[in-house]
Amino acid sequence: MPTPTLLQSIAITLIQCVLVVLFVFVVVPLTVFAERKVLGYLQQRLGSTRVASGHIGVTGWMNRGMWKWGRIPVLSYWRGIPGLVADVLKLILKEDIIPAKADKFVFFIAPAISMVSAVVVFAAISFVPGTFFVFPSWFPGLAGLPVAGGIADINVGLLWILGVASVGVYGIVLAGWASNSKYPLLGGLRSAAQMVSYEVPLAISLLAPVVLTGSLNFSEMAQRMATGLSAWGLVPQVLGFLIYLTCGFAETNRLPFDMPEAENELVAGFHTEYSGMKFGFFYLAEYINMTVVSALAAGFFLGGSWLLPFGLQGLVNHLLPADAWLAGPHAIFFVAKIVFLLFTYIWVRGTIPRYRYDQVMSVAWKYLIPLALVNLLIAAFVRCAV
Amino acid sequence: MNKFLRTLIPFDIAKGLSITGKHFCKVFFTANRRKVPFHIVSEYPEVVAKLQPRYRGRLTLLKDEQGEIKCVCCLACEKICPTSVITIEKGKKEGRKMPYPVRYDFEMERCIFCEFCVESCGFDSIILNHQFELASYNREDLSIGMEGLGQNMFEPSPVGKFSVADD
Repeated sequence: MPTPTLLQSIAITLIQCVLVVLFVFVVVPLTVFAERKVLGYLQQRLGSTRVASGHIGVTGWMNRGMWKWGRIPVLSYWRGIPGLVADVLKLILKEDIIPAKADKFVFFIAPAISMVSAVVVFAAISFVPGTFFVFPSWFPGLAGLPVAGGIADINVGLLWILGVASVGVYGIVLAGWASNSKYPLLGGLRSAAQMVSYEVPLAISLLAPVVLTGSLNFSEMAQRMATGLSAWGLVPQVLGFLIYLTCGFAETNRLPFDMPEAENELVAGFHTEYSGMKFGFFYLAEYINMTVVSALAAGFFLGGSWLLPFGLQGLVNHLLPADAWLAGPHAIFFVAKIVFLLFTYIWVRGTIPRYRYDQVMSVAWKYLIPLALVNLLIAAFVRCAV
Repeated sequence: MNKFLRTLIPFDIAKGLSITGKHFCKVFFTANRRKVPFHIVSEYPEVVAKLQPRYRGRLTLLKDEQGEIKCVCCLACEKICPTSVITIEKGKKEGRKMPYPVRYDFEMERCIFCEFCVESCGFDSIILNHQFELASYNREDLSIGMEGLGQNMFEPSPVGKFSVADD
C-alpha cells in the first residue's frame, strides 16, 4: 500500500469525519422515531403511523400511500417516518425566544457546548480495528489508500472520551443558570450533582477494561476485550457492563434517572426557557450522547466489532477457521450492537419509573461505587492470575 | 443480607423488562395483521377487528328458507325489552297459520344492546348481528322498520366511508 502524502491524509480524515457525522445524523433521527414506535409498542399502542390526519391534500396522499405500502409487513413499521421531517422543520422554523433577564452569552453558548461535547467524542471511537475500506484504483487522487475504522485512534482514547463527555455537564448547568428562572435552575443543580456522582462509578467501571487490556486506545481495548481474554474475563465484563449501562443511563439523563428534566416536577428542567433550534441542539445532544454511551458499551463489553459479546469470541475463535467471516471484525456488528443498546434505552424507559432524587444519589454512592470497585478488584485478579 | 442481595441483583428490573418485552413482541408481531385470529391492537377503520361470536350488534329479523319471516308475533321480545324499543303489530297473511308481523319497529336510539330479546325469543327469529358502526347524522335513520331501502330490519345498516382504506 502506498504511504499517503499530507494532503491525502487530510482528505482521508475529512472523508472519515463526513462518514461519522453522516452516521450520527442518520442514527439520531431514527432513534427519535424509534422512541415513538418502540414506546408505543411497549404500551400497546402503534406509535406514529401517519402525517397529520384526514385523506385530502398532500398529507392525505402521503397517508394513503403509506397505508398501501404498509400492507407489506416490514414496511408497516416505517409508516409515520415523514413526521420526522415535520419535526425538524418545526425545530428550525420556530421562534427563538431569549428571556429578557437571561444571561445572553451563556444562554447562547450552553446548547453549543452540550452538542459539541457530544459529537466530538466520536473522534476517538473506531468502528472497526484496522482498515475500514480501501479506495478503489479509479478514485481520483486517493487510489489504493486505506481508510481507518476511526477518525483518530489515539493512544489515550479513553481519557479523551471521558474528559470530553464530562464537559457536557457544563452545557446543562450553564443552561439552567443562564435562563434566570427557578425550574431550569433546579434542573441544572440536580443534573450537576447527579452527573458528577455518576461520573465516578462510570469511570471506575471503565477502568476494569483498562486493567484487563493494559491499554487506553479504543480499538486496541475493544480487540483485546473481545478476543484476548480467558474465560475468567467473563465475570468482570458482565458485571462491568451492568454497572456501566446504569451509569450511562444516568449520564445521559434518561429515564429512570431523568432528574434534570423531570416533567412532572420541573416543567421541562434545564431547557424550559429554550425554544427553536437551541432546544433542538439539546434534543440532538441527548440522543448523540445515547449513541456515544451505546458505542462505548458495545466496544468495551459487548465485543466491539466482533460477533459475540463479553469476550466469548476469543473463546470460540479457535474452533473456527482463521479466515472465517464470522471470526473477523466487521463494522456492521458494531453498529448492530449500538442499535440494540439504543433499543434497550427505550425499553428501560418504557419499563422503569423515575427514581426519587435521594434514591438516585444513594444508588450511585452506596451501591454502584462499591460494586464498581469490587469489579475493578476482580478485573485486577483476572489480569494477574491468568 | 437477603435484602442487600435483592437490592444488588436486579431481579425486579429483569422481571419488569421481560413483561414489557413480552407486550412489545405481542403488539409488534400481531398489529394490523389480517390473518391473526385476535388483535391486541390494530388500526380500526382500516383493519376491522375480529369480533367474538357472542358480540351484540344491531337487532336483525331473520327469514327462513322460503323467504318467510320467522317471527310469529308472540310479543316476548316486546315485553322483556327494558327500554321498550320494539313495537310489533300483529296481522294475518294468506296461506300462513301463524300470526304475521305487519309492523316490527325498532328504535335503535334507545336500545341498550342487552340481548334479552334474542334470549326470550322461542322461535330463533331475531339475532343481534356483528355491526357496531351504527352512528348516524339523522335521528330518523335510527328508527328501523320493515320497509325502507337498506335501512330495514332484514339487512345491516349502511356504513359511511371513513378511512383512507375505503377508496
